[in-house]
Amino acid sequence: MPAHFSTMRKVLPVLVCMVMLAGATTVYAQDAGAPVLYAQDAGAPTPAAPPATAPEAAGAPAPPAVPKIDTGDTAWLLVSTALVLAMTAPGLALFYGGMVRSKNSLGTIMQSFIILCVISIQWVLWGYSLAFGPDKGHIIGGLEWLGLNGVGLEPNADYGATVPHQAFMIFQMMFAVITPALITGAFAERMKFSSFLVFTLLWATFIYDPLAHWVWAVGGWVRNLGALDFAGGTVVHISSGISALACAIVLRQRLGYGREHMSPHNLPMTVLGASLLWFGWFGFNAGSAVASGALATSAFVVTNTATATAALAWMFAEWMYRGKPTVLGAASGAVAGLVAITPASGFVGPMPSIVIGLGAGVFCYLAVLWKSKLGYDDALDVVGIHGIGGIWGALATGLFASKAINAAGADGLFYGNPAQFGIQAMAVLISVVFAFTGTFIILKLVDGLMGLRVSEEEERMGLDLSQHDERAYS
Amino acid sequence: MIDLKQHCQQNSKRQGTSGVMCLTIAAVMLGTLALFIGSVAMAQDATAQAGAGVATPVLIIDTGDTAWVLMSTALVLAMTMPGLALFYGGLVRSKNVLGTIMHSAIILCMVSLIWILFGYSLAFGPDKGGIIGGLEWIGLNGVGSDPHPTYGPTIPHQVFMLFQLMFAAITPALITGAFAERMRFSALLLFAALWSVVIYTPVAHWIWGGGWLGKMGALDFAGGAVVHISSGVSALICALVMGQRKGYGTEYMAPHNLPFTLLGTGLLWFGWFGFNAGSALGANGIAGSAFLATHTAAATAALVWMWMEWMHRGRPTVLGVASGAVAGLATVTPGAGFVGPFSAIVIGGFAGILCYFAVVWKGRMGYDDSLDVVGIHGVGGIFGILATGLFASKAINTAGADGLFFGNTAQFGIQAIMVAAVAIFSAFGTWIILRLVDAMVGLRVSPEDEATGLDLSQHNERAYS
Repeated sequence: MPAHFSTMRKVLPVLVCMVMLAGATTVYAQDAGAPVLYAQDAGAPTPAAPPATAPEAAGAPAPPAVPKIDTGDTAWLLVSTALVLAMTAPGLALFYGGMVRSKNSLGTIMQSFIILCVISIQWVLWGYSLAFGPDKGHIIGGLEWLGLNGVGLEPNADYGATVPHQAFMIFQMMFAVITPALITGAFAERMKFSSFLVFTLLWATFIYDPLAHWVWAVGGWVRNLGALDFAGGTVVHISSGISALACAIVLRQRLGYGREHMSPHNLPMTVLGASLLWFGWFGFNAGSAVASGALATSAFVVTNTATATAALAWMFAEWMYRGKPTVLGAASGAVAGLVAITPASGFVGPMPSIVIGLGAGVFCYLAVLWKSKLGYDDALDVVGIHGIGGIWGALATGLFASKAINAAGADGLFYGNPAQFGIQAMAVLISVVFAFTGTFIILKLVDGLMGLRVSEEEERMGLDLSQHDERAYS
Repeated sequence: MIDLKQHCQQNSKRQGTSGVMCLTIAAVMLGTLALFIGSVAMAQDATAQAGAGVATPVLIIDTGDTAWVLMSTALVLAMTMPGLALFYGGLVRSKNVLGTIMHSAIILCMVSLIWILFGYSLAFGPDKGGIIGGLEWIGLNGVGSDPHPTYGPTIPHQVFMLFQLMFAAITPALITGAFAERMRFSALLLFAALWSVVIYTPVAHWIWGGGWLGKMGALDFAGGAVVHISSGVSALICALVMGQRKGYGTEYMAPHNLPFTLLGTGLLWFGWFGFNAGSALGANGIAGSAFLATHTAAATAALVWMWMEWMHRGRPTVLGVASGAVAGLATVTPGAGFVGPFSAIVIGGFAGILCYFAVVWKGRMGYDDSLDVVGIHGVGGIFGILATGLFASKAINTAGADGLFFGNTAQFGIQAIMVAAVAIFSAFGTWIILRLVDAMVGLRVSPEDEATGLDLSQHNERAYS
């Protein structure tokens, strides 16, 4: 018992800091943000006194016309937000939860679920401001939007000119939530819950928020390079996939890895999770158009097509190579296809998406096969699916992107613009190096502070009983 | 363990045949790919022409309508995966749960590809003699973001295509309940691909794509005939051709996980709002009315089935409530956009009664429709189409027609012709496809594979461990 208390005491300061910050920002927000919050209650967007907050006025020149909220666009973005929430919990939670042994299923589900809660708070307090706040030297967002100060119900011309700024903020929140949740598959079945909480908070703040700023925020340096990432191939999938590799290396193998039988305890649950991921991914990709219309439609079509192709490709690859088409293979293939099409979804047409899906199914299948030769224990194949799928997708965007699909994008290599492929390769390299180094440092830090792994007997007992004192099935 | 060892040995023996099957199917896939490359080339030729020729009035995309139909598309996807997969997966024995889930999953993937490559063109492309769509839209050539004047004038044409894709995917997936626990996986792939091209696309064209039934004035709002009669009647043929499962009627074959089935039912109900209300192709009054009719009929049918069972068998079962809800949803589908809420109660009530008896009588007829596709989708679909001919009202939808009870006897006759046409076509077509697939790869797994279960014999994995 004392051991529990001491870890608790180590987590507590972090939480206390968070709450203090919350208090401070709330006060701050009330000073400055009140008019914004009530702007809509007062009536239609008021052109007479645009509640343009200080940062907005300072950051960018005022848009020519006052942005007007479009109900259709807003409805689509809101429902997309809910769809992306469903990707994390229950989608990812069940996808991973079914793949572990039954003694760890609650521990695995809990990781996704608690990340959803932790990052939801982190994002409104400081995450959104760091990621999307007014640019500071092309590296990070400023602290002007702490506690959603100045992030109100008026549209922000840079981030969705026809939807309330808060709708964009909460849509992005769901991305910030799912990204660290994806990593949990790498250290499944062996990470201490308290260390996991601290790791998540640090990772979101020091890896996700800067990377999202570089790639998506106005002024971010990777965005300024001209890198295309429609819905998060670099920000979400490469970052989580490569961080997962760092985690698998630092945390080392599970006890009995390679000797004991570690097959999934409930595959129907995994399929349920994979299906909900597919379902939610329509919000992820088509929602990233931040409007309802032609671009959202095109992203929706290619998302579905690439996913179907990748599932079939993985299945046939496995059938030829191993003699049987497995259900886990089809589910993994579908997720690999979803990952690979993510960065390209707003820039490519349906026929290229077939090629992207085909590549995703084959490359990710091979990556998962080779994992065992390399020896690291990426328990639920985050590296093979998200890392490799994300890299393939980001590069494929540089091949197949076409201005005919999205005029705001760019042409890729196959449409006469080889430079785009170089830019994409650079974006991949930047995110790989940053995510790997950053995660490695954070892990070493947390390890020094409180230790990363549960004890051997706790690992044998399973995370459900040792970390949470409950059983999944009885 | 010994079982497993023996099984692995058998596997390695069978590896040869499995490889051949895989090659056969890969060849089919390659053929499609060749078609795809051809179509892309063709598309590039034709886009230039299209640009010059078409000068129709400009249709404007409405963001609200587009948002609703996009969301509905996602909802209908959730009906197949995970909805139907879990609904069926929970009903089979635990040794077949993965095989059953895999049927729905892989059909969704295959039809997704078939549909954008050529299925959509066959179903909805420019009409050829009222029978089938032309090949002009192959590879989505000419199906872009501009709205189509008849297929949703306020949404991008691709949204309509995608929404219809989900219908094309769920229909063959519904049939899989009839041959659950005994079909060879490679045979399933071939059957589903052929069925969706040879049966689904023409039927969809006849009714929705400007074909002869549509021109006659047949009313099918969201797929009573296209989806439910076609799948229900085909399921009957499948059950007859495939024969009973080993031990049918003698062994205990109870559902292995009813909470799964209920979760699947819940997701079907949830997704059906997209199926029916989304078929209005806009966020408008018809969508609201269809949503209401759908929900009312589902609730009524679940209650009625429960009471029927309670009276007839002494206990209200959870499986009965789930089946009743699905029966209500299937039955109200064709009428959803044409009938009012009180008509929906009547339709739902009869759905509960008729489908319940259809399922009870199945036992006497002797065919093994394992998961009751015939009783629920076939009988529900037929009654739903006929009921639309009774209860449809122009007061609900001016674009529809009045039914028998609103003074238009002819509509009932048209609906009856539609039932006959779709049922006969699906039955013959399915029978021929099954014979063909049987000759190519064999329909059923071997008796020992069937005893082992599909999970291990077809996919080499266990659902639970």
